[in-house]
Amino acid sequence: MLGNITLGQYYPGDSLVHRLDPRTKILVTLLLIVAIFLAKTALGYVSLSILVLLVIALARLPYLLVFRSIKPLALIIILTLGLHLFLGQGEKVIWSYKFISITEEGLQMGVKMSMRLILLLMFSSILTFTTSPIVLTDGIESLLRPFRKIGVPAHELAMMMTIALRFIPTLLEETDRIVKAQTARGADFASGNILQKAKNMLPILIPLFISAFRRADDLAIAMEARCYRGGEGRTRMHQLAYGMRDGGAFVFAFLVLGLELFLRWNPSLTLPF
Amino acid sequence: MENSQKKPIIEIKNLTHTYTDTEDRQVKALDSVTLDIAEGEFVAIIGANGSGKSTLARHLNALLLPDGGNCLVDGKDTLEEDNLWDIRQTVGMVFQNPDNQIVAAIVEEDVAFGPENIGVEPEEIRRRVRKALETVGMTHYTHHAPHLLSGGQKQRIAIAGTLALGSRVIVLDEPTAMLDPRGRKEIMETMKMLNRERGITVVYITHYMVEAMEADRVVVMDHGKVAFQGTPRKVFSKVDRLEKLGLEAPLAAEFAFQLRQAGGDIPEDIITDEELAEALCH
Repeated sequence: MLGNITLGQYYPGDSLVHRLDPRTKILVTLLLIVAIFLAKTALGYVSLSILVLLVIALARLPYLLVFRSIKPLALIIILTLGLHLFLGQGEKVIWSYKFISITEEGLQMGVKMSMRLILLLMFSSILTFTTSPIVLTDGIESLLRPFRKIGVPAHELAMMMTIALRFIPTLLEETDRIVKAQTARGADFASGNILQKAKNMLPILIPLFISAFRRADDLAIAMEARCYRGGEGRTRMHQLAYGMRDGGAFVFAFLVLGLELFLRWNPSLTLPF
Repeated sequence: MENSQKKPIIEIKNLTHTYTDTEDRQVKALDSVTLDIAEGEFVAIIGANGSGKSTLARHLNALLLPDGGNCLVDGKDTLEEDNLWDIRQTVGMVFQNPDNQIVAAIVEEDVAFGPENIGVEPEEIRRRVRKALETVGMTHYTHHAPHLLSGGQKQRIAIAGTLALGSRVIVLDEPTAMLDPRGRKEIMETMKMLNRERGITVVYITHYMVEAMEADRVVVMDHGKVAFQGTPRKVFSKVDRLEKLGLEAPLAAEFAFQLRQAGGDIPEDIITDEELAEALCH
């Protein structure tokens, strides 16, 4: 039941986007998110939507895969749309029934807000689809390194993420084993109400936690035996290096940012609707 | 033994390790142990549970420090903090649970973990990782995820990790206890090869007598002390003595012993099946 899991949602590939330095991808994603929040007019949103489709094509990702990443927040998006639609204040009433009225301003606001969320999800999932969790961790560590001086534990955070990634499959396997062992002893995980079900999880969680602590202890000793002493004086086998394409990606991101800024201050440039 | 002329790489002098048990009593896990291990030697350590084998192993690379006596690695005292990193590079450790000693989610990254910690140049790390994986025959799995490997393969990755660190001594603490027979054979073959071809000193803690039979010397531990030691032939022919310590001699030695007890004319130094067959046919 917990077999063949994939870590994160990495979609292996060899596209231009895949090959970008992880730091570039993280920073460019942040810049594009800023651009999303700068967008104000319909033209702004349309241009960003075209952009997202272009990037997906460039990364050679299946469109459906990226669209599916919206699903977890679908409810919030629909709620956002609904709230603006029915509660938005405005002059031009398009439709009304008793005390409910939908205004053009409300509709516009609702569509814009939902578009924001959708674009946000899509851009950030392109990042995780094209970057393996391990590389992503390296990128985050490298980006946080300058902030060590103000007490950001960059190396420790990255080491924690690395170990978590390493042990997720191991702990899932273990969970599977415990579930089977407890089922064999007559445990019932399926019936009862939510509270009962949560209670039934205890025989799984307790052995799992005990084992996780033991593993942590073993691992700490093994790491120490291999000369681990924190991030100080540590080197890395694979070093991140920016290439030409990374420069291109940054130029591209700033162009998008500039475009959105321009459209924001020139609201007269708009689509004919 | 030809190795005993060489300078010992590990010298243990009157090593004592005390801990406080759950009932607040002082227990001596190691009680004045004195033991030398020569460079290039293959030493097996056997003993019942709680005999102090694992505690001894952890003293060899300063994971534990002596409460009394000394442990010298390549002439360096583990009690001196300045020696710590040299000692841990000289002596590599492989533990029992293959899952709990792999740090990274990719094989090559895990082998690189040791050299990364001591600040080796990236180019040199790559060279060491490549060579270490080649030595243990895991080159094909360089980019694999460790959780998809077999137990024996995981332990070989751990061995490669110590090689990449530049260890001259590898201490293995029951490395095959959680493996299937095939994995056990893989590890034993790898360690024998490393010992013979690379001159790596091996300290192999095990409760499989068959594995201990492959060593140059067998050390039998009991209640924190070295009970007796010698060549596998010498140790395993003392069937009654092993039994008193809660250890089982190899089947052939046990069988030969029983036959002798019953008045059979069987030589005393039989430890393998072949030797037993030979003796029985005469």
